[in-house]
Amino acid sequence: MGNIKVSSENLDFYYSDFKALEDITMDFEANKVTALIGPSGCGKSTFLRCINRMNDLIAGTRVDGRMTLDGENIYAQGLDVVSLRRRIGMVFQKPNPFPKTVFENVAYGLRVNGLKDKALLEERVEESLKGAALWDEVKDRLNTSALGLSGGQQQRLCIARALAVEPEVLLMDEPASALDPIATQKIEDLIHELKKNFTIIIVTHSMQQAARVSDKTAFFYMGRLIEVDSTKQMFTKPKNKQTEDYITGRFG
Amino acid sequence: MEQRAHFTRKLEELKLMVLRMAALAESAVHKSVKAFLEGDADLAEEIIKGDSAINDLEDEIDAFNLELLALDQPMAVDLRTIVGSMRITVNLERLGDEAVNLSHRAMFLSSRPPLPFNSKMEKLSETSKAMLADSLRAFVDGDVRLAEQVCRTDDEADRLTIQLLKEFINDMVTESRIVERGVHAIIAARHLERIADLATNIAESVAFIVEGDSLKHNCRG
Repeated sequence: MGNIKVSSENLDFYYSDFKALEDITMDFEANKVTALIGPSGCGKSTFLRCINRMNDLIAGTRVDGRMTLDGENIYAQGLDVVSLRRRIGMVFQKPNPFPKTVFENVAYGLRVNGLKDKALLEERVEESLKGAALWDEVKDRLNTSALGLSGGQQQRLCIARALAVEPEVLLMDEPASALDPIATQKIEDLIHELKKNFTIIIVTHSMQQAARVSDKTAFFYMGRLIEVDSTKQMFTKPKNKQTEDYITGRFG
Repeated sequence: MEQRAHFTRKLEELKLMVLRMAALAESAVHKSVKAFLEGDADLAEEIIKGDSAINDLEDEIDAFNLELLALDQPMAVDLRTIVGSMRITVNLERLGDEAVNLSHRAMFLSSRPPLPFNSKMEKLSETSKAMLADSLRAFVDGDVRLAEQVCRTDDEADRLTIQLLKEFINDMVTESRIVERGVHAIIAARHLERIADLATNIAESVAFIVEGDSLKHNCRG
């Protein structure tokens, strides 16, 4: 086992009285891609949002157990959630660019963090767009509206926006589900590149996508972690019957 | 309706195609042994002519599997069933070839005086045929224990072959007139031993399909 970046220990999660996650214990290795799979309502997205405390925004939710980033409990009292989310970035299912220019979308997080130096801003925006494999397509239209980009470009813009603040972990919630196959391919290629610098955790409904992009796969069912193993093992020889039934499409 | 019913039906269809090929290959093996032991040239010729049907089925199953892989992107046990059945059909095709080889020996020996070796060949041929039958039964039933038993019996087939060769050599030393026929009989024994090997390969593929594990390193020295 390599260097553990994120770790969940006996984590339970409640939406009011409903226990959405039960006793989740698993580690996420640094610079690896981990895919979370399972049928709708299994808790995989809820679990993803526990990793950067996005569920805090929903009233009536509660977490028991521990979630650690570099060994530090992210649910500890007094922890600065804004700085946590800077370290753990997130990309959502639907591209959600701000109604601003391409440049301002990427620069936004940097400005919020107090970066004012124009040259440095330009440098970081370019780096981020290159990191998201979008630079060549938008370098001549940095000052046009981001809403004019295609869906696939918008999603890579959102990835660039997440990369700009130099996070350590990147959470992706079905990042390609609204994209066509070519745009999906670009996102998947990008994930392979990004893992050199980031720890990536991705929720996906596409089994083939999980198989293509991830190093490890975790199968969730009814709020529980049923099996987690190397992706190779999970898709050729899963140990658990429920995992096998799900990934061979027998249910779910 | 059962989920993935269409794909499940296609997997069933695949199994039936493999069984159809298995039935042809097994029948060719049985007939070639009979043709050899009884010196039946007509039967031998029938087997040689019939081999193309086995080859055609292999092509048909390959194309079917390729389509399943491309269009249904199977995972886990489904993936292993397809890869395993591809391995099995390769071995079934080779079994057909061994039956043809044995038939060539049968045709040659049919025009010669009978050999004193037949009773010795019978034991090896029975062992090989039983191994083949068990490996196919293991495939039909997904029976890994039976598959393991086939793998273990392969040592017995090897031992019988070596014993046969020694006896043939002794016979040829004492009776030089039978050397030509003896050499053909040695080659035939080798074909029978190969049939046992191919049955073992099929048994190994059954274990791979059912449990995802290779028996190769457990059953063979």
